[in-house]
Amino acid sequence: MKSSQLKSSLALFWVLFGASCSEHHGDGADAKVAKLGTIEITARLMEVPQKAVIERQLYNYAGVFKYQIEQVHRGALKKGDIIYVAHYNPFKPRYEVADNRILNIGGNAGSLVAGQHHRMALEAPLDDHYMGGIVNEYFEEHPTVIHWALWTNAADAPKP
Amino acid sequence: MRNIAHILFCVLFVGAVIRAEDDGQLQLTAEVKSHGWIAYSARSGKGDWDIFACRPDGSDIRNLTNSPDTNEGYPLFSRDGARLLYRRIKRDENFNGNDHGSQGALILSKSDGSQAKALGGEGELPWASWSPDGKQIATLSLKGVEIVDLATGKVVRTMKRNGFFQQFTWSPDGKWFSGVSNSFGTGWSDARMNAETGAANAVSREDCCTPDWFPDSNRMIFSNRQVKQGNNGYGWTQLWMANADGTKAGLVYAENGRHIYGGHVSPDGKYVIFTGNAQEDGDSEHAGAPMELMRLSDAPMIGGNDREDLIKQFPKAKNGPVLKLPHGWEPIWTLHEIFTVKK
Repeated sequence: MKSSQLKSSLALFWVLFGASCSEHHGDGADAKVAKLGTIEITARLMEVPQKAVIERQLYNYAGVFKYQIEQVHRGALKKGDIIYVAHYNPFKPRYEVADNRILNIGGNAGSLVAGQHHRMALEAPLDDHYMGGIVNEYFEEHPTVIHWALWTNAADAPKP
Repeated sequence: MRNIAHILFCVLFVGAVIRAEDDGQLQLTAEVKSHGWIAYSARSGKGDWDIFACRPDGSDIRNLTNSPDTNEGYPLFSRDGARLLYRRIKRDENFNGNDHGSQGALILSKSDGSQAKALGGEGELPWASWSPDGKQIATLSLKGVEIVDLATGKVVRTMKRNGFFQQFTWSPDGKWFSGVSNSFGTGWSDARMNAETGAANAVSREDCCTPDWFPDSNRMIFSNRQVKQGNNGYGWTQLWMANADGTKAGLVYAENGRHIYGGHVSPDGKYVIFTGNAQEDGDSEHAGAPMELMRLSDAPMIGGNDREDLIKQFPKAKNGPVLKLPHGWEPIWTLHEIFTVKK
């Protein structure tokens, strides 16, 4: 094999390898997200408040995050609305978050990063579903409802 | 010659200070020795957690539960001092500083530990707290606040919990509840709830916990996390008091290197007991923390040797005696004589 052919082959390999490794999540649908809670949406995580993702020594807590709804699968929310969602111990990947205090939560999403799209099963109001400390950096925005994230899957942005 | 005189002066001065401190300790010991009983949870010699009682000077320690096969913790005297509520968990389970009020079963006994009986199953009647007359308990769960009649075991009233989630205590006058709430912008706010309407206000919006009442039901004592106070930006928890509407908050006791938790005011409002430990949560995972007692009239006070930054922060801090009591966790005080005196 000539050197130029070798280079071309390697370049093609890296392009194909890169494509296969880039994150494609699909629509994030699975049996859990379709079943849990009374609300199911796909939404974009608008930002990650710094204090909401700090691991706290000995203390479990929920952190409040701001999302913009992109698609409503179940429930009475509207596309385009901004909502506040509480994630339990948000410094953990969602697939490791269930513990002996909070059993039926999870999902396949890893670290929470601004701009990600999540397909989530939610409940509301938070007070009916979660007892514990809340780190809410949006307190001064007076959110009327905080939703409780039961299941959070990574998803691609819904096609328009 | 001058140097010798100077050294002699210093020795005499230090000796006088030590003597004065000893005198202060002795005086405080004499004041509180016969001032009722303190109940607390602690490790027994067999390694399990039991409920103990001691005199407020730390003397005359008695094991009230003596149950090596189970752990007991979180004792609460009824306001008349006649009965005790506490939680019983499995021997291989640890008390967790955030969930201890809902772990295991709620046990009711006479205040000397006799006639113990379970009032519910595992996890039932969480965060139970005595009504002033001892006929009811208030509980706190995801369902809300429930008032339970002790004679019948029936729920006689329910209320929304409005963000309260732990360490729920009915006030001595019966008009309020105190607890830790998530409704006030910090993860853990000490707060007060109107026992009739459910209306709530924050008492402290620092990260704080273990709120408890003064006997007048108008003031509260609580632990306050001061992030500015070192510990790699994590801060040490200090003991504070405030009016129950959140006004006139002030330091009671602080110490660099120890978290001050479990503040409980004596039923006459003159003294306070607390625990202090380098570990979080009063260290219920291990052996609890040393309990200590001071006069409220000596507050604010700074403890320990590393005091410089705290004295700058609290220039009006006073000096006063602090009694060292046994290791324990979540202490509570009654002025009543809880043991039958043999004639």
